[in-house]
Amino acid sequence: MARNAKQWNAHPDPGRIEWADSRIYSDEEIFEEELEKIWKKVWIPVCHESELPEPYDFRTMSIAREPVIVCRDADDKIRAFLNVCPHRANLIERRPSGSFKEGTPSGNPKNMTCMFHAWQFDMKGRCVHISRGEEGYQDRLSPKDVGLRRLRCEVAFGGMVWVTLHDHIEHSVQEWVGSALDCILEPIEAEPLEIFHYHKSVIPSNYKLWHDTNSEFYHDFVHYHNRVTGFNDAYFARKNMTFDNGHVVVGSFEVQYDQYEGFESREALSFPTLPPNNWYMIDIFPGINYNLRGSALRVDLMTPLSANEVMIEFRGLGLKKDTEEERLTRVRHHNTIWGPMGRNLHEDLLSITGQGVTMRPGTEPRHILHGRHENETIHDEIGMRHYYDEWSRWMGRPLHNPTNRPAVAAE
Amino acid sequence: MATAKRSAAVEAVKDTVYRTCLLLDDERWSDWLELCDEEFYYKITAYSPEIRRDVLYLDGDREQIAQMCELLPKHNTDRSPLKRHAVVYTVDVDGGSAEAVTSFVIYQNMLDGVNSHIDAGENHLFAVGRYLDSFAIRDDEARFVTREVRLETRRLDKGTHWPL
Repeated sequence: MARNAKQWNAHPDPGRIEWADSRIYSDEEIFEEELEKIWKKVWIPVCHESELPEPYDFRTMSIAREPVIVCRDADDKIRAFLNVCPHRANLIERRPSGSFKEGTPSGNPKNMTCMFHAWQFDMKGRCVHISRGEEGYQDRLSPKDVGLRRLRCEVAFGGMVWVTLHDHIEHSVQEWVGSALDCILEPIEAEPLEIFHYHKSVIPSNYKLWHDTNSEFYHDFVHYHNRVTGFNDAYFARKNMTFDNGHVVVGSFEVQYDQYEGFESREALSFPTLPPNNWYMIDIFPGINYNLRGSALRVDLMTPLSANEVMIEFRGLGLKKDTEEERLTRVRHHNTIWGPMGRNLHEDLLSITGQGVTMRPGTEPRHILHGRHENETIHDEIGMRHYYDEWSRWMGRPLHNPTNRPAVAAE
Repeated sequence: MATAKRSAAVEAVKDTVYRTCLLLDDERWSDWLELCDEEFYYKITAYSPEIRRDVLYLDGDREQIAQMCELLPKHNTDRSPLKRHAVVYTVDVDGGSAEAVTSFVIYQNMLDGVNSHIDAGENHLFAVGRYLDSFAIRDDEARFVTREVRLETRRLDKGTHWPL
């Protein structure tokens, strides 16, 4: 029966069913704390190495509001820096990507140049030119004092470029991800990969709600495609596996693509060693997702913008050695489900938009159930529970009462 | 005479482009496909300056697009209608074929995509781009042979299930 306000607000018994207080999704103080305590402390795969294939290529992005630039040096090494000029804190490079091989209106070829006062930096982040430096600074400031802020950067797990704002992070990327990506490591590392798809979405919802959607497959009821191509014994036997540091793997099964009218098997273009039409999903804490569906790899990266706004970047990758025909087929397989006009992505984004409406800042706290137990199989919500155990550890906030509000006793 | 024939072809092309806008606005997918040749090929593309590549968002032949549209009612979707405003910029006629460039903006007339209590009735700019079309001209009628929806808008947020 429908409940009155007291019944509605009474906490479920956490001994009987797991739940979270919705202020973890809506509280602006918690959001700011997440940026400081989590997003500035972890490894983030900011782009793929094929997005900067040549020496002097660059790519720009941001992590926890900090502008970041990634560039490839003449020796092919990829490095990352804050995209902030040490002089007057202007943004050094404004374009999303490009090459420093050619000069710019204010600077020389092969250098990053802040257009504002024409300070220049090389691909190692060293300041190589201060305009009228001696005249203005005499011997009080030299280029060696004003290098860029370098960021730790590693290329790993299928050629993704991982960056962290945390100089003293205790883990390498390999140690941080651990064995969570072992299930697809051979398929994504056997051959160099290449990006073929990029688009982004800004959604009025909390970033964790997107990660939740990637972690729990109970929401497959929203997808006609997944119901008709899955929802068989093999699907319901898929296991959710938890890994250190809050990562989760959703196990594989053979998708029956031909059960969706007009779709075809992905078998002919399976990633190396991946069994035909298999599908693995790996969720990396705090907001990264690897999704390998037979012939195409999708990698999602979230950039939290506010308590109620997230940017999600969607990348599609194939094998660098693909023929033109193979690539087109991979792109089609990717797009039909995951493109901006794909069957599933729109439904997923529509879903978290609805959650964003009911859990926007200022709305009443709600009880968000994470309590499905099905022997750790596909509709078991163990993935979310594992994620929030880790989240609570990083944040030092209990999931049931993240802002210490008075409890409401059940009647 | 040749000029009159060419002018008729230009008008036929414009008529087909504009009729198509109305049909797509009204979600009359099969009526739109009736204006397309058997070998019709449709694609939605963009150039991504982020990865410095052309990207293909959706494509299909007439049968595939028809099949996709037939399945739309089985999918959960943002029901907010998309409405087009288009201007045919150029039409180049060459014998029995023609090519046209049409500039468009697509507005989303908000219904249930976010919070209908607040947003329903408001219009959002959904996408900007060009239709790059080719036609077969027969009996003073222009039928689509290809349509490329070339988007400038690349932040499509929730996206859509519908042809643009």
